[in-house]
Amino acid sequence: MVTDYKRRDTLMGETQYAIHMDDQTAALKGALLHDIRRSIFVYRVDCGGCNGCEIEIFAAITPIFDAERFGIKVVSSPRHADILLYTGSMTRSMRVPALRAYHAAPDPKVCVAYGACGSSGGIFHDLYCVWGGADQVIPIDAYIPGCPPTPPATIFGFAMALGILSQKLKATHHVEGEDERVQPRHPELPLDLRVDVERESRRMAGYWHGQQIADSFLNLLKAPASDIERNIQNFLAQKDDSRLTEIFGRLSEIYLMRKA
Amino acid sequence: MIELAEAKPKVGQKYVDAMRAQFGGKILEESWQAAEQVTLMVELNSLPDVVEFVYYRLGGWLSTVVGSDERPINGHFAIYYVLSVEGDETETEKAYVVIRALIPPHQPEFPAVASRVPAAVWYEREVRDMFGIQPVGMVDKRRLVLPDDWPPELHPLRKDAMDYRFRPTPTREEENYEFIQVEGEGVVEVPLGPLHMTSDEPGHFRLYMDGEHIVDADYRLFYVHRGMEKLAESRMTYDQITFLTDRICGICGYAHSVAYSTSIERALGIEVPARAQYIRTILLEVERLHSHLLNLGLACHFVGFDTGFMQFFRVREKTMKMAELLTGARKTYGMNLIGGIRKDILKEERTQVLQWIAELRGEVTRLVDILLNTPNIVQRTAGIGRLEPNVARDYSPVGPNLRGSGFHRDIRVIHPYCAYDRVPWTTISKTGCDVLSRTLIRAEEFFVSLDMVAQCLETIPEGPILTEGFAYKPYSFALGYVEAPRGEDIHWSMLGDNQKIYRWKCRASSYNNWPALRYMLRGNTFSDAPLIVASIDPCYSCTERVTVVDIRKKSVKTVAYKELERYCVERKDSPLK
Repeated sequence: MVTDYKRRDTLMGETQYAIHMDDQTAALKGALLHDIRRSIFVYRVDCGGCNGCEIEIFAAITPIFDAERFGIKVVSSPRHADILLYTGSMTRSMRVPALRAYHAAPDPKVCVAYGACGSSGGIFHDLYCVWGGADQVIPIDAYIPGCPPTPPATIFGFAMALGILSQKLKATHHVEGEDERVQPRHPELPLDLRVDVERESRRMAGYWHGQQIADSFLNLLKAPASDIERNIQNFLAQKDDSRLTEIFGRLSEIYLMRKA
Repeated sequence: MIELAEAKPKVGQKYVDAMRAQFGGKILEESWQAAEQVTLMVELNSLPDVVEFVYYRLGGWLSTVVGSDERPINGHFAIYYVLSVEGDETETEKAYVVIRALIPPHQPEFPAVASRVPAAVWYEREVRDMFGIQPVGMVDKRRLVLPDDWPPELHPLRKDAMDYRFRPTPTREEENYEFIQVEGEGVVEVPLGPLHMTSDEPGHFRLYMDGEHIVDADYRLFYVHRGMEKLAESRMTYDQITFLTDRICGICGYAHSVAYSTSIERALGIEVPARAQYIRTILLEVERLHSHLLNLGLACHFVGFDTGFMQFFRVREKTMKMAELLTGARKTYGMNLIGGIRKDILKEERTQVLQWIAELRGEVTRLVDILLNTPNIVQRTAGIGRLEPNVARDYSPVGPNLRGSGFHRDIRVIHPYCAYDRVPWTTISKTGCDVLSRTLIRAEEFFVSLDMVAQCLETIPEGPILTEGFAYKPYSFALGYVEAPRGEDIHWSMLGDNQKIYRWKCRASSYNNWPALRYMLRGNTFSDAPLIVASIDPCYSCTERVTVVDIRKKSVKTVAYKELERYCVERKDSPLK
């Protein structure tokens, strides 16, 4: 643990060697310097926090972490703000002032929920004077979790929010045509089967992986009935992943049950 | 273990004797929770007399007032006035005396003490909000804690009132808190808030101005009332509450956590191992280090010395790293359990912290030197925001706020807890009564804390860090107290019979400091208001917008907080003109 600190110490001020920027940092810096091309003003709205978050935001903008080197600046009026930072669980008394701050900020704006309480209400989520997190009242674009988030997490969260801001700056609006319909995936398979497979797959592997696994399984089902089992075996042999085999086993059970 | 506590001589017996001599039969019952904690039940109608006698004649300071719905236990509401009785300057015997009175449920009223002892004003308003018990004779009829649109007949802390998750439907979009009316020619009304720039809790201020001078001030706080006390009673176990208390305050959360834990430990007579006591002391002082640096930084900011602000925050990161190394977290430490702590300090950590202490000592010495040699710091702070000793005596403020007005009062000495009576250290107090004194106290206390952390790390005893294997005894109760960076934090806990707390009352230090602020603002200029508010370090200057009511021009004007802050820093181009 201590060695960790020593390392960070050198990173924090007494750096004696050239810093090599990795690709991600370079991309982030590029986005700041070329795509957004201006400073980002942040306004904080405390809706019922304990000050822990506020202090960590302070730490993030003062010399050691210095978010201002990226052009991220905390301002004192929502009228100047690009990013609204909501900290603390949304209390009954603060819901109206919080909304007022939201309406006062010019568009396009990004709203960020900061800390455990801002994101979800935290430990206070179901209390009588609390409306849960900031997203109960304000449309939130990004969440910075933590109790409180550390200054590095804060700066990372700002960078995420900036990505969203550039999307909003270049926003295009799609107008739906007369007979335009969204095509569901795998329309040739029965709906019940698709839903059950996807649900089970997501339950076992999580949201993102679950979708991928369900897709590849459903693709395999489209072959002629006689080939399906062999295709699945081949697919699993090729992947050689015991967890995937386990999940596919469950999905096959669902498939066979539905077929019967 | 209870026997151990009772075997100790009772500290404060002579105060009880003095009260018995004065009030005789009006004192109905006497019980001792610990060697220096006594609870006396008195007749309801004698409450103001008894509290006034203890406060002014025996040298008492009002620490907290606890309302409690004890109808399921004894059929009554109860109210507890907690006073720290300290006698005069030379007195060495100091104890907590708790005055208890029972209030019949069919007539929920008690005679207000606030007219005799002003320090009780906020507490009695809070009891009215939360329990619906009326303080008879209380002049101020306004709400304190609950939101403006809360249903008037619903009192959240009554046991039969509501589920802790019940949210009454909002009825209004506007705040309709009635601020005091200040009459007079040329008074300007200045509302600040509830959102503000510097940091911290929302609060709404209203300043009454005559030209550039503040005539009076009023404030509406508690925008962040969430209902923690109800939460603790309904959803949490004893050990979980230690983590809830960490989240009462983002700056001195650990102080609250220790205050809560010690209140339960005292109620049950649990002996906390010495090593755990030392580690608690170390962490409490580490918390004080970062809190005081924060306030010194803000003091620089408000006098227009932003370089100092940035420098203090740069140095402060070292104390944050210290906390992270010792606890694993920069802010919410999550270290306490009932009976001890969760994480030990090993040699590697100790060496590193001692090294950082040496570095901090050098760096902060230099910074404080620069700060005090900056010409405008003394000019801006000396004689500003005076807290007169007599006002301080009436309102029981705490911490550096009180010590800046000549009182030598520090809970760490008066009622030693953890390891504060085992390591040598000194208290700091000043007699200037102004912003400068309070700032200097924080600067000096910083170095005392540094020494104390080093001392504790060097002399920390061996042994276990957690006491286990005790049973919770229903309806036992006691106080826990800690001198947090801003002053005394005090917790009163009563245990329940279902592995949940029956009643837990937490009082943060700023709660006692706010009521006196009004007197500190009076007579000062508009541009000094943020400086004064920051000097009580109230989880601080809650001032975004200022509505100015000018007595002479009969005009109402709203000034953006930024404008006020700029004016505080630059002192030219007054926004009032």
